[in-house]
Amino acid sequence: MIEIIHGGALPEKRLALTKTIMVMRLTALFLLTAFMQVSAAALAQKVTLSEQNAPLKKIFKEIKRQTGYVFFYNSGLLERSHPVTITAKDEDMRQVLEKCFRGQPLSYNIVNKTIVVSLRKDSSVILQPPIADTVPGRITVNGRVTDDVGKPIAGANIVVEGDKEQRGTTSGSNGEFTLHGKPGAVLAISYVGYVGQQLKIRTAGPYMVRLIPGTKDPLANMVVTGYQMINKDNFTGNAVTVSGEELKKVNPQNVLQSIQVFDPSFNIATNNLAGSNPNALPQINVRGSTAIPTGNGAVLSRNDLTGNANLPTFIMDGYEVDLQKVYDLDVNRIQSITLLKDAAATAVYGSRAANGVLVITTKTPKDGKLQLYYNYELNTTGPDLTDYHVLDANQKLQYEQLAGVYKPVGGLTRDDQEETYYGKLKNVVSGVNTYWLSQPLRTTFGQKHSLYLEGGGSSMRYGLSLLYQTQPGVMKGSSRNRYSVGMDLSYNPGKKIIFRNTLSATEVDGSESPYGNFYNYVSMNPYYPKTDSLGHVVQKVDTWLYDTHREGDAQFKTESALNPLYNATLHSFNRNKYLELIDAFSAEWNIARGLRLRSVVSYTKRKYSTDVFTSPFANEFFYYPPSQYSLRGSYAYMASDENTFDGTLTLNYNRQLGDHFFNVALASNVHTYNIDARGVMAVGFTNDRFTNIGFANSFPQGSAPSSDLEKERLFGSLLSINYSWKNKYMVDLSGRADGSSKFGTDKKVAPFWAAGIGWNMNKEDFLAGSRVISLFRLKASTGMIGSVSFPPYKAETVYNYYSNTWYSTGVGAAVTTYGNDNLQWQRTHTYDAGIDLKLFHDRLSLSPRYYYKLTHGLLADIQLPGSTGFSSYTDNLGDMSNKGFELNLSWTMLHNSNWTVTVFTNLVRNTNKIVRISNALKSYNDRADHVQTSDSLKGTPLLRYKEGQSLNTIYAVRSLGIDPENGKEIFLRPDGSRTYTWDVHYIVPVADYTPKVTGSFGAVLSWKRFQMNTIFTTRLGGKDYNQTLVDRVENADPRYNVDSRALTERWKNPGDRAKFKNIADLGTSQVSSRFIQDDNTLDLTSVYFSYDFAPSVYSRLAMKHLRIAFTSNDVYHWSSLKIERGIDYPFARSFTLSLQTSF
Amino acid sequence: MHIKIFIGLFCGVLLFSSCKKWLDVKPESQVSKNELFQTASGYEEALNGVYSRCSQGNIYGKELSFGTLDVLAQNYYIPGRDPLAYLQTSLYSYTNKDFITRKDSIWNGLYNAIANCNLILANIEDGKKIMTSMDYTIIKAEALGMRAYLHFDALRIFAPSFASNPDAAAIPYVTDFSNKVTPLSTVSAVLTKIIKDLSDSKTLLATVDPIVSGGYIVGYPTLPSDGSTEQADASLFMQNRRHRLNYYAVCGELARVFLYSNDYTNALKNALEVINSRKFPWTSQADFIDINPQRIDRIFYKELVFAWYIPPQTKPLLLLFGSDLNSLYMLQNDGAGIYETGGAGGDDLRYKQWFKTVTDASGTRLDLLKYTRDPDSNRHPLVAPALRLSELYYIAAECTYDIDPARAMGYVDSVRLHRGIGTPMTAGSKDDFLDQLVKEARKEFYGEGQIFYMYKRLNRNILGLSGTIIPASNKTFVLPLPNDEIEFGNR
Repeated sequence: MIEIIHGGALPEKRLALTKTIMVMRLTALFLLTAFMQVSAAALAQKVTLSEQNAPLKKIFKEIKRQTGYVFFYNSGLLERSHPVTITAKDEDMRQVLEKCFRGQPLSYNIVNKTIVVSLRKDSSVILQPPIADTVPGRITVNGRVTDDVGKPIAGANIVVEGDKEQRGTTSGSNGEFTLHGKPGAVLAISYVGYVGQQLKIRTAGPYMVRLIPGTKDPLANMVVTGYQMINKDNFTGNAVTVSGEELKKVNPQNVLQSIQVFDPSFNIATNNLAGSNPNALPQINVRGSTAIPTGNGAVLSRNDLTGNANLPTFIMDGYEVDLQKVYDLDVNRIQSITLLKDAAATAVYGSRAANGVLVITTKTPKDGKLQLYYNYELNTTGPDLTDYHVLDANQKLQYEQLAGVYKPVGGLTRDDQEETYYGKLKNVVSGVNTYWLSQPLRTTFGQKHSLYLEGGGSSMRYGLSLLYQTQPGVMKGSSRNRYSVGMDLSYNPGKKIIFRNTLSATEVDGSESPYGNFYNYVSMNPYYPKTDSLGHVVQKVDTWLYDTHREGDAQFKTESALNPLYNATLHSFNRNKYLELIDAFSAEWNIARGLRLRSVVSYTKRKYSTDVFTSPFANEFFYYPPSQYSLRGSYAYMASDENTFDGTLTLNYNRQLGDHFFNVALASNVHTYNIDARGVMAVGFTNDRFTNIGFANSFPQGSAPSSDLEKERLFGSLLSINYSWKNKYMVDLSGRADGSSKFGTDKKVAPFWAAGIGWNMNKEDFLAGSRVISLFRLKASTGMIGSVSFPPYKAETVYNYYSNTWYSTGVGAAVTTYGNDNLQWQRTHTYDAGIDLKLFHDRLSLSPRYYYKLTHGLLADIQLPGSTGFSSYTDNLGDMSNKGFELNLSWTMLHNSNWTVTVFTNLVRNTNKIVRISNALKSYNDRADHVQTSDSLKGTPLLRYKEGQSLNTIYAVRSLGIDPENGKEIFLRPDGSRTYTWDVHYIVPVADYTPKVTGSFGAVLSWKRFQMNTIFTTRLGGKDYNQTLVDRVENADPRYNVDSRALTERWKNPGDRAKFKNIADLGTSQVSSRFIQDDNTLDLTSVYFSYDFAPSVYSRLAMKHLRIAFTSNDVYHWSSLKIERGIDYPFARSFTLSLQTSF
Repeated sequence: MHIKIFIGLFCGVLLFSSCKKWLDVKPESQVSKNELFQTASGYEEALNGVYSRCSQGNIYGKELSFGTLDVLAQNYYIPGRDPLAYLQTSLYSYTNKDFITRKDSIWNGLYNAIANCNLILANIEDGKKIMTSMDYTIIKAEALGMRAYLHFDALRIFAPSFASNPDAAAIPYVTDFSNKVTPLSTVSAVLTKIIKDLSDSKTLLATVDPIVSGGYIVGYPTLPSDGSTEQADASLFMQNRRHRLNYYAVCGELARVFLYSNDYTNALKNALEVINSRKFPWTSQADFIDINPQRIDRIFYKELVFAWYIPPQTKPLLLLFGSDLNSLYMLQNDGAGIYETGGAGGDDLRYKQWFKTVTDASGTRLDLLKYTRDPDSNRHPLVAPALRLSELYYIAAECTYDIDPARAMGYVDSVRLHRGIGTPMTAGSKDDFLDQLVKEARKEFYGEGQIFYMYKRLNRNILGLSGTIIPASNKTFVLPLPNDEIEFGNR
């Protein structure tokens, strides 16, 4: 039998019990235990021994105790060993082992932190079963164990499952084995680093057993919840684990984008405004939104809707970090990430769990040998303007004429207007056709050097990481540069205690482009030259007189066309930076076998500052009258100081007692966060050479410095139990009580819980040894988790001071919001069911899942009659549901010594529904109706909330299209009758943004030392409101450049079957279903290509490993929706060349 | 062994740390109500807060002083361009968007201030231990009085007048700080509650308010000294009693309320208490016509029994009255008509000092100077009158006419005399008297928001500009309750 030696004493009774343990389970146990030890012990390499005629087993125990290395062997082997006499003082473990194995019929092999003991290869002795093969019904079975490419594996363990007397064997040097067993018995074959297999004895064989390598990453088979590490096979929760290496292959520049590929339910909202601006943080939700925007009561369009209320919780090495930290994290530092999605997985995070939890584990220093890892990346990005179709100079002028721009207006006669027209035509004819879009853009080159050094002695280890990364954006002058240094120290004074400290300092410098908003270039007329004849960039290029259709003096307005390039010639800047220091200290105490106490304390300090200087000559001050020249130019300075403290104390107990396996965690955790932000604005600069805020003339009139102070505190205690019986049946139970400063004074502590069950059906007799099914697991879980993503102090009635306007009898303080003492956290009930299926030796794996999340007590503003003194207060009212289906499929089509071909697809569908809403949201809808008619929002669909609809419903007036006769739009009233007049009361829900399915698919291909990955992402079956058609085709202002469809597809003559209204109609089109289009997209997200050099090459360079890789991201975007993408900042394609080596 | 000890310790930590106090995080740029009422100064700040809240532009800082109410009273000429979006308000189109926004904001503002009073009153008894009894009495009295004052204005704006329908459902009289809806009371019920609160306030203030003492001399706060002791108190909180609801302000407000309830006896009694106190001297002509812009007193500062302190409104006032054709102004003819410059008002100092005649392409107009001050230094701070001495003379006149018409007209004449109108008033009948009284009041209250209430109380036609007449009707006099109030308060 196989046994793993632990530090503690192993009573003889236990030995007897363990005889029945199956190899498979032991493998799992081994992996688990091995992992537990990675950080637990396994540090010291020096051994002190003094033994006289001691059995080898005792020596092993001693070595294990001192070094943390685990021994892995078949106990039958040790019976052939002879006792050892040895004296060693602080000797290297390998030397000691060498001494112990001298003269033994055994050999050993060190794999990771495991010492695998096997028969000496030159020994031809095949282990004799102690029971003679004369037992009736037994046959002798032959076989050969090879790896996936056919190379023999020596020392693999072969055990007959469930047979108490059968002791099994190990494979010989050529991988062959022989043993005795009854037909129908199941053989379990295992080897370290490979996935175990089972086969049923039918005939004498020979059986060819191919073992597939398990991933080298010890975390790969583990679900890291942050409080526990649970074997995937025994876990009923829903979690996705991806290694840092895999993430890097998808997108070396952006970790978050990569995660989305592995699990599309981790959804990053496409930010059509910010495009590929490196300084824009993404908005994320996991399995749909669980919150409704509350607070300021402002009417929202989709662009204003921040995803932050639905942001998942990020946990790094046991402490909570924020999105910023993850966004700026070097992917090379990541060991693995685990995305926890359902209640069974996230309940340990209680009130922070409802939106999912992303657990990041960073690399820790390994072996005591000095190692240097180096990674270099050259990244180049180029703007993607394929979705922009603007008019050229000739077409633009033609459009202007058709739109009636040159009709007499105000005091301008037909002659005056014609003169203007011909002046412009002259420009066009003389060849002026500026492509303004390309003016602020560039192709960039960014670099990344990432270095990691690790090493150390037996009780002390260190790791040093350095990062230098420049990330220029495609708009000239925009960039985000990251510099960081990290120091990792671990120390184990005794054998049972380990201290580890990680200190890291990161500086991030961001800079926005001085070229300003990209939209200004898109809308610039192509018949304007960039510069005058002398090559100077002129500020004012044209003047227009136009009719505002208002009454009185304001009817005609003269406006200048300003050259956006002019701003870039000035010294304006917009910089933001932060310096972050994180210190995380952990102490671990292995109290007894399987019992471990761990404490992690981390402190994060981050100081932000933003400096925005706008030159007094900038276009925005162009219209200032001379009397206000002293107010031109502005400087805004904002600084904030964030402090986060996170402390966790965890008691873990992992133990196998017979067929029962327990993994228990009892923990308590404390989290505090505070931010102190202040800002000041100054105006009045004489020129832009003196850009320091000290040169400012004054503060803007009526302004005062701003400040914001916020504090949050959280305390939680939890108990989590993972139990499995014979690896067949699993149960997860967890509960957490959270106290949060955000809750109402009457409800300071909140309970959360989850329960999950699972069944590994493949372990049952009727499937064991099946050649088809290698894994068949059923899982289901339910639970109640929460979220408190609302601003602090909502629960308090607070007085605000009129600090800058005193009353004559002293400063006053007044209550402006009604605090709700009963405010509670949002409670999300989740239900999750899924199947994990692996077929044909794991070649095909399939995991479909279904989930249902019902969020109760949605935080919502409750409208009050004004006579209470308040317009609203916040309460838990409203329910929202999200349900969805997830499917992960991967198929290794081909796998041999040269080739591996795997295709995969991950698909997700989520539907959101507002089940119940508060009266405030109803009154919000009325306000939305009101705002919908305002000038700036006429063409933008606003968010509305209706029971039964989703958060993603598009509200507009139904439209039948353009009347061919007169070019007017025909609307449908809610009762179905037709009209030409648009009215806000005709607005109904018309479509839903939610795609039928989103997902990723791709192929991983490797041939010899080459590897290629191609990944597509797609979104199908959704609808979108094509804002380009509204803003740039129908409501296009003919004085600026427009989308080419404004010229080609608008109604011109009676009988035209046009999609867009009369070209001469300059009125504003309002929200209508006519602009809603199918949204089907396909993105070639990532193409990866790598080559691992042969040892002969890199060893000549004194390297241990050398890989060159090429990644290309966002290569191609195809969409059924022809919409301008990247309004304020264009999207970019990126190509990365990387070089990875270690010394 | 040590495992047991350890587990014991661990559980101890879990229990110990479920400390509720630790989770009670207090905002730092704000103060929670429990914390504010820990100290005596907290109560003072809460009371000051009521006045600061009232001085905001959406209530007494603008709309209820010189904005909406005077627009409704047809005091301003509003051109079709409608630069300040008051046109529809002046036409009484109560479904207009801009009107609704302002009107709702008035309602919400008044009741928010009331909620602040109620929160003070809910905590005031706890403060007895930590405050001096004078502080306690003044704060309690003012909070009670302000609650009544604010309700009275809400009643005068949003409910039918007592004269037209005393039993009509009016407004809620809110006395609790809570999110529970208070049912509507009838006009007379609200008036009873107002009188109760004001009377309680008056009783409390009678003994402790420094303004009652002979040492309190009303005057200009800045040099040259006129003997004012208004800023003499060592405590800032006890200074400038006239910027807060002082004893005489409560008396004056009671006079208003009794008059509104047609209780002439009590109205007269309270009005006379203020008048006879001789606390508030008439503004001397010299001060009114001073050519030094730093010394001119256009607001009749010393005559103000109660006024809102509104320096933060300097800029909005400039926009409202100092932006040429985009201001609220009158055409010259209308102004001349109101002040009867062709007749008795030929020497009316108010017409001369409060208006600037400007002639430009659009014609000749009158820009209001009542709130104009020297930008740097003045004899008095920028205030919006809430209750002035002359109103008490008018109340006294109205209450006396039935008994003694001559004395009644004498009250009016004393005001006229101090404004430069030497001709005595003559009235043939009560109706004629009231007509003339309203005319006088309009001159005096121009830009102060009071005249609209008078039209409504007396159910008088509103005299519009250019000779138009807006017939008296509850359609114009009663502003509709906000939609949110109707919908969410089940009105």
